[in-house]
Amino acid sequence: MSAPITETPLLTGKHSFSGITAKISGIAERKAPVPWYLALGAALSLLLVLFGSIGFLVFEGVGIWGVNNPVGWGWAIVNFVWWVGIGHAGTLISAILFLLRQRWRTSINRFAEAMTLFAISCALIFPGIHVGRMWLAYWMFPIPNQMGMWPNFRSPLLWDVFAVSTYFIASLLFWYTGLIPDLATFRDRAKIKIKKVIFGILAMGWRGGNRQWRHYELAYLILAGISTPLVLSVHSVVSTDFAVSIIPGWHTTIFPPYFVAGAIFSGFAMVVTLTIIARKIFNIGDIITVNHLEKMNKIILLTGSMVGYAYGIEFFIAWYSGNMYEQFTFINRAFGNYAWAYWIMIFCNVLVPQVFWFKRLRRSIPVMFIASIFINIGMWFERFVIVVSSLSRDFLPANWDYYSPSIWDISTFIGSFGLFFTLFLLFIRFLPMISMAEVKTVLPEADPHHGVAHSRPGGRHD
Amino acid sequence: MENEKTAFRPILSGIFGMIAAGAAIVGLLLSGVGYFLDARQFLFSWLTALVYWTTIGLGALFFVMLHHLVGARWSTVLRRMAENLMWGLPVLAVFFLPILFHMPQAYSWSNPEVMAGDHLLTGKSGYLNVPFFTLRLAAYFLVWFVLVSLLNTYSNQQDTNSSASLTKRMRVVSAAGMVLFAVTLSFAAFDWLMSLDAHWYSTIYGVYVFAGSFLALLALMVLIVLQLRSRGILKNVITSEHDHDLGKLLFAFTIFWGYMAFSQYLLIWYGNIPEETVWFLHRWNGTWKTASLVLIFGQFVVPFFVLFPQAVKRMPAVMKAIGLWILLMHWVDIYWLVMPSLHHEVHLSWMDVTTLVGIGGVFLWFFQRGMRSRPLVPINDPTLAGSIRSLS
Repeated sequence: MSAPITETPLLTGKHSFSGITAKISGIAERKAPVPWYLALGAALSLLLVLFGSIGFLVFEGVGIWGVNNPVGWGWAIVNFVWWVGIGHAGTLISAILFLLRQRWRTSINRFAEAMTLFAISCALIFPGIHVGRMWLAYWMFPIPNQMGMWPNFRSPLLWDVFAVSTYFIASLLFWYTGLIPDLATFRDRAKIKIKKVIFGILAMGWRGGNRQWRHYELAYLILAGISTPLVLSVHSVVSTDFAVSIIPGWHTTIFPPYFVAGAIFSGFAMVVTLTIIARKIFNIGDIITVNHLEKMNKIILLTGSMVGYAYGIEFFIAWYSGNMYEQFTFINRAFGNYAWAYWIMIFCNVLVPQVFWFKRLRRSIPVMFIASIFINIGMWFERFVIVVSSLSRDFLPANWDYYSPSIWDISTFIGSFGLFFTLFLLFIRFLPMISMAEVKTVLPEADPHHGVAHSRPGGRHD
Repeated sequence: MENEKTAFRPILSGIFGMIAAGAAIVGLLLSGVGYFLDARQFLFSWLTALVYWTTIGLGALFFVMLHHLVGARWSTVLRRMAENLMWGLPVLAVFFLPILFHMPQAYSWSNPEVMAGDHLLTGKSGYLNVPFFTLRLAAYFLVWFVLVSLLNTYSNQQDTNSSASLTKRMRVVSAAGMVLFAVTLSFAAFDWLMSLDAHWYSTIYGVYVFAGSFLALLALMVLIVLQLRSRGILKNVITSEHDHDLGKLLFAFTIFWGYMAFSQYLLIWYGNIPEETVWFLHRWNGTWKTASLVLIFGQFVVPFFVLFPQAVKRMPAVMKAIGLWILLMHWVDIYWLVMPSLHHEVHLSWMDVTTLVGIGGVFLWFFQRGMRSRPLVPINDPTLAGSIRSLS
């Protein structure tokens, strides 16, 4: 028998079932730490900025934004695509990694799924307010009416409505289904009546019996199966917003898979950013370990390289096409009026993730924190480059114009972080931020062969 | 463990080698006759068959590298099979010689007169010229040869030496190999297939060809596993649990192929730019329309519904049938990519068969040689025991 490759166990330190319950429930049961209050205060202030910006937008109209002719899509669409993209990591972790039997997902899935929901909430604001008369935004839905008006089903903007709302509902169901056993734990641990009642209702009568677990696991598997195509479809549909048009730089066949890879890329970067902060504040570095972070960094390296591949292929084919408009667009991107944005994008999305080729850097918290921030920035710039550079230089040079955002573009975007972080901070305060029931399954004690010679650390019994 | 090891000794009889060699000789000789009868038909049939087997070899290379990169356990029992399938890949380089000698007949851009009279093609001449094409071809095969040799050499060493450092080394090769693989496969697809219609371009083309390659490889693996089992080989090593996992991958990549094919079609249809739609129009004219429909239904709709139920993935009879079907559809796919450049209507030739059998015979001869000359599974791989016991 050969020497086994030693694989580091997922959780570090000594854990027991009850210890994990106590630790994770404790976060929501104890008084919140001071940094949490400070963070919530800051998030609420930003949320007010968002409300204020939207309020003024309603009052004054989209003229307050920097959009001009020909750049009719400015930051609002950039922000929409950016936020939707961030949401993708949650579903990938919860659905695809579940189907692939990647058990390291258990420490981060809850967290990432919540992030997905909040990111989509932020994303949905932007197309909603971008329609101008947002009190008529419900016209996007096919609601029968006496005017005989009907949405254009051939428009990818309408596909977006369905794709993103389906995605939100599926993610919500998935997140909630996963929460049920943990909500029951909260119910059982609650010391005050009102908490007991609320968690009791939310836990939907969960008792943790054998039959319940069997049904639960089947439901979870089916939900994973349903959500998996959504990981690919949502951003593919978002990519068609651009790609079905005939605008050079937008109309290219690689867009659907390229957007999906970029979405997962940015989503994982955001998960890494948030995880590093949370595990510091709540002292859960032994449950979300460097091993988890390293695995996420590997996915970042993979998806970042896919994005780099797409940039390269796009550029090559633009030249190869022989089409002067295609060629112009790409040369303009790299060397034209928005070259600064293009090179920020290339640096952040293609070069920065390459540090993760090295194990030492992949496991270094400061390195990955900085890299993840760069990637978040880079992926925002990717969408900026796509939206703005192509529009600002359209087919008629007489139309050309330079786009710059107004203060209201900036405040709305910054305000959306307020919404995101407010929801996120409330989530980690009141709900179990780590899936207690699932994390326990990677403990050695969860292995039916625990104590038997061939059981391995990490609970695998292979 | 020692008992198990003897069970992995290659026990395939020499008859497979003889069949493969016979198929190769007969197929290649008949194709050679075809060359003198109709050189253009021969070239296009040859290219179709050559790309067909090359993509399957590339699929095998991808399988092995993916296995190492993600540290997979379930697929350790299948690794050697994929390693044997990629043995034939570098050899196929030789079969590109007939194409290199007759470039203008296959690739219109390599014809100086066509090039000179075409403004668009002149613009591409920096890339589309015979010396650079040949250089790239050599570079692709050099990269694949190095990757296949390294991975197979380390794998062989592992059979006698149980040091864990070999696993690590294979991981490192696979990491670098994956990057090279993505680039070489994409540009090979642009060169060999997309440039047949040199005006046309599509950025997703490389990913599309990759999707079909891996799908076909998986189908072939399913067939081989089940065929071996029905002869009692590796019966308790590759179990129905592995069948199930392979079936799931086959299902997933059926969808992935459909996703790529649909992305390419939808965006070109919707944009409706004549330079782009012309490629699909060629494939929607006359009998080509039938071929397109066969591809949509055969490569996506039928496998999708057949592979959907869980139980099917553990039914050897159904899996064998669908495996064969997908392998056939991969050929239809390549045919559909290549042939509209030669025929305005679907025109099957006997050379389509002889070239496929001839080149396939060579490819599979190398496969069976691997199966006979070394253990059927990587016997010292630290994850082997776990792989045998893995549950789907």
